[in-house]
Amino acid sequence: MSNPQNNPTAKTIEVVGSGNMAERLIFSNRPVILALFALLTAFLAFNASQIRPDASFERLIPLEHPFIINMLDNREDLGNLGNSIRIAVSVKNGDIFNKAYMQTLSEITDELFYLPGVDRSAMKSLWTPNVRWIEVTEDGFRGGTVIPDGYDGSDGSLEGLRQNILKSGQVGRLVADDFKSTIVYASLFETNPETNEPLDYKQFSLELEEKIRDKYRAKNPNIDIHIIGFAKKIGDLIEGIGAILIFAFVTIGLTLTFLYAYSRCLVGTLVPVITSIIAVVWQLGILNLLGYGIDPYSVLVPFLVFAIGISHGVQIVNQLAVEQALGFNPLMSARLAFRFLVRPGILALVSDAIGFLTLLFIEIDVIKDLAVAAGVGVAVIIVTNLVLHPVIMSYLGLSKGGLKHAKRVELHGDKKWRALSFMAHPSIAPISVLIAILGSGIGIYYQKDLKIGDLDKGAPELRADSRYNLDNDFIISNYSTSADVMVVMVKTPVESCSTYEVMDVMDRMQWRLENTEGVESTASLVTVSRLVTKALNEGSFKWFELSRSESIINSSIQRAPAGMVNADCSMTPMIVYLKDHQADTLERVVGTLKELIDQYPSENYTFLLAAGNAGVEAATNQVISKAKNVMLISVYAVVSILCFITFRSFSAVICIVTPLALTSILCEALMAQLGIGIKVATLPVIALGVGIGVDYGIYIFSMLETKLKEGLPLQEAYFQTLRTTGKAVSFTGITLGIGVCTWIFSPIKFQADMGVLLFFMFIWNMVGSMWLLPALARFLIRPDKIAQKAKAAVKVN
Amino acid sequence: MNAIFAKFRASLIVGAVTLGSISTQVLAVEDVLVTPSVKAVKAKQSLLLDIAKAGERLVAVGARGHILFSDDNGDNWQQSKVPVSVLLTSVVFSGENNGWAVGHSGVVLHSSDKGATWVKQFDGNAANKMIITQSENVVSALRSEIESAPEEEIEEMEYQLEEAEFALDDARFDAEIGASKPLLDVFFMNEKEGLVVGAYGFIFKTVDGGASWKNYGSKVENPDRFHFNTITQVSENTLVVAGEAGVIFRSEDRGETWETVESPYGGSFFGLAATGEKNTMLAFGLRGNLFRSIDAGKTWDQVDSQTESTLVSAVHNGEGDISIVGNSGAILFSDDGGRTFTESIRSDRLGTASVIFVKQDQMVIVGESGVHQTDSSGHNLN
Repeated sequence: MSNPQNNPTAKTIEVVGSGNMAERLIFSNRPVILALFALLTAFLAFNASQIRPDASFERLIPLEHPFIINMLDNREDLGNLGNSIRIAVSVKNGDIFNKAYMQTLSEITDELFYLPGVDRSAMKSLWTPNVRWIEVTEDGFRGGTVIPDGYDGSDGSLEGLRQNILKSGQVGRLVADDFKSTIVYASLFETNPETNEPLDYKQFSLELEEKIRDKYRAKNPNIDIHIIGFAKKIGDLIEGIGAILIFAFVTIGLTLTFLYAYSRCLVGTLVPVITSIIAVVWQLGILNLLGYGIDPYSVLVPFLVFAIGISHGVQIVNQLAVEQALGFNPLMSARLAFRFLVRPGILALVSDAIGFLTLLFIEIDVIKDLAVAAGVGVAVIIVTNLVLHPVIMSYLGLSKGGLKHAKRVELHGDKKWRALSFMAHPSIAPISVLIAILGSGIGIYYQKDLKIGDLDKGAPELRADSRYNLDNDFIISNYSTSADVMVVMVKTPVESCSTYEVMDVMDRMQWRLENTEGVESTASLVTVSRLVTKALNEGSFKWFELSRSESIINSSIQRAPAGMVNADCSMTPMIVYLKDHQADTLERVVGTLKELIDQYPSENYTFLLAAGNAGVEAATNQVISKAKNVMLISVYAVVSILCFITFRSFSAVICIVTPLALTSILCEALMAQLGIGIKVATLPVIALGVGIGVDYGIYIFSMLETKLKEGLPLQEAYFQTLRTTGKAVSFTGITLGIGVCTWIFSPIKFQADMGVLLFFMFIWNMVGSMWLLPALARFLIRPDKIAQKAKAAVKVN
Repeated sequence: MNAIFAKFRASLIVGAVTLGSISTQVLAVEDVLVTPSVKAVKAKQSLLLDIAKAGERLVAVGARGHILFSDDNGDNWQQSKVPVSVLLTSVVFSGENNGWAVGHSGVVLHSSDKGATWVKQFDGNAANKMIITQSENVVSALRSEIESAPEEEIEEMEYQLEEAEFALDDARFDAEIGASKPLLDVFFMNEKEGLVVGAYGFIFKTVDGGASWKNYGSKVENPDRFHFNTITQVSENTLVVAGEAGVIFRSEDRGETWETVESPYGGSFFGLAATGEKNTMLAFGLRGNLFRSIDAGKTWDQVDSQTESTLVSAVHNGEGDISIVGNSGAILFSDDGGRTFTESIRSDRLGTASVIFVKQDQMVIVGESGVHQTDSSGHNLN
């Protein structure tokens, strides 16, 4: 009926009208607008280039959570409990008792000693003088360094070394259980006391690679080197962010290729890409002006902005093609495209923006930053892609080749769209709805396994097979050490942290904890006191007990390791080593601890939860699980309200939002099955997915409504929608999906997780909007009513 | 940043207020002497210090008042009901049913059901009181004696009085700290007569199965208050005690009077053990020092232990096999009544505190990492 070829249209502005004020304002002042954009872009590009990477630890943690408040409050006293580096030097053939190995180990120890940032006094290796053996003799203690006096690498001195190591109690700590590797340990200064400069993690990590790993592996081919520690992990993460640039180029390349294949028009390809890149530049520039930096999480936002920009750009190119095909000149086509798309476009983008802003509910700075970055980005797109894009197009127009191609595809593609339009058919629709109900049922079933928090062992930020995690595996399996540590801060009045009362309670708690599933061991001043009391009684295990006598306790903890007690003995940590950092484990341990704290109340001490990486993760998990539902409810509420305001119909809201809800359910089921937990990285994806997915529904529903207003029956109206908007939506979904797919190759695990999930959400939201939306419309929309209303409205006007 | 810290402070103040309201209902933490031992999954894998036989049943004692028993030679273990949660250092059975365990805080426990349930008979507080009363008696006796004593003896007696007053002060001071001294070994000759020894020369005797105890500290010459680490019986009436700095004492009248033996060694002894042969016994301790006596502990000859590890406990099977265990994974075995030994080292190199033979070439050991079934060279079975 409304076949454009036969449609007798006038080609002048008088016939189609001049549009609303915004349109008139924009299109009557095109040169001014362009100049303004050029200026702003130049200014913001300069600012964007000034943006700083910002990977500070504090932005990753929920600062308002009581655990974190306690941790930061006691930060000074906890000292460097965490910030250390362990270098395991392993032998490929034979064991550590050979001259060449010991020589290399000595050189590595020296090399590390001189790296800036290393606390030299706290370094430990077989070659440092603080690693000693001690034995009880009839006359008291006897001891020495583990490297025997007069060591010369001979078999005799190597045998002496072996005996000393056995006597030193370092097996499992500095020396592997199988005598095939030893550890060089160093704790690091957060701030270099000589230069007063903060530790440069990237630089330090790089030096470890160059000056230790690469250098000595080349020098002694019979050894291998494994490095773990907070500094190394951060270094590797920062290095991993570099890969993002490659993904950016790949994504832009892919988008260009796809766009060209789609439009066969250079202008139609380049302009959306350029305006989207301008959007990214603006976003980064504004962020810098607002004082934000770029961190490993928000570095992904420019991709989203680019993707959303393309999504809207394609709608414009598509609409232009339609209008130009009708015979309008480029300017008029651009005006008409603007007129037609500005309402759904703004609606879609505002829903995106507000959807992203719901992330602000999560009290973790990186997520808040992400929300702001994404919100700014989307707001910028309203200007760049809904204004700048049509204005540029009004000068350039689509090429003839492109138009021809569009026509050709239209003729070809109609068959496909015709077939797809049956999704709105009365006999197919119920089946679709049934499948959707079934699908959500299955989704909800599998979603049960969904876990909060990081699930993988080692450093969850990095891939399981990353060098760091392989090194971590090596050290965990050869040494008695755990990477997951929860620290309880025991606060007492000054000089009372080691009274019998406090120590006795810690002791009881530790035993309960050690018998809690998921706890490997515990350590505290009590552990030290027991060990030393035993040692002072000639090593007799019959004295392996906490004494009631303060003087015995005091002498037993006189030489407690640094960090086990603060300067005025008002805080001492109780350290819990965990098997892993899965949410269940953390919850169980925190639960046990809370129970214990209630069980042993006293005015003389306070047990504060919780520092250590496991403490931080427990706090993060709590914040995330609390925020998750609030965020989901708000993002859906926002999207629903905006849809309602625009379309003034509950049916429209249900048609648009239901496919999104199905996607959300299936996405959570997918996460559960892939072993991806809800964490700092993946929680935002849920909001982002809904925000972006709603675009598709809005565009499709908007076009469908227009066609219905023209009086078309549902299936025909849907066919018309599919061949125009539907085409653009499917193209966008696939392009964006493939774009974020590149993230799956990121060396950073959480970026890869985000890639998988966003890919799923882009594709599935597209499928949902094209398959489920019309089926729902079949049940909920009364085409005759819409047509009547439209007629009535025309009459009133 | 400043804003963040301001927020911290605010929340800390709120935290302090709520804490204040809770602390009004403070419950005191019960003393370990009256806190029953808790059943724990890891009791079997944590420190155990001694193991004994109650008939065919094995009973092991250790950290936190843990007492475990097994009726199948150590395959399966159950945890006993114990009224205290202190480190228990030693256990002994006389006959099938009656057993005694001693430990820190001067505690003595008794079981009359083969080790399944235990009651406390004595503790360090009772010991402290007993010693104070005794010291007071000595002091007042001396005072009255001095009044009626002949002139030439007064100086000597005043010196004694001064000593006694020092001892009383010490006893009072100890009592103030509380039950802080551990008992380190227990031995019962029959179901009624037994002795316990411990830190700083503690030695008590009972003749009524532990219902009442007497302080025998003054019967042993121990002016330096060395620890008594071990006690054992070598023949019908002969008991031997050994301890810190190589001290050895003998009693030939079931513990009533004690004589000091000239020690072959100046370092500490941690264990004494009969070998199964008449009047023959072993003494061992620091750094692998090992001695054998064939005259019920009067004289001693050094035996080459093959090890430098401290040795703490030994057992014989009545057929000439002897196992001695100690720190750093050392397990010594002799099949000739303790004349010669071979050493093996357990792969975990952890300390072993006690050992018992259960079958031919099968032992059960306890120590730093709990209980293990091993062969006679200390290698874990299964």
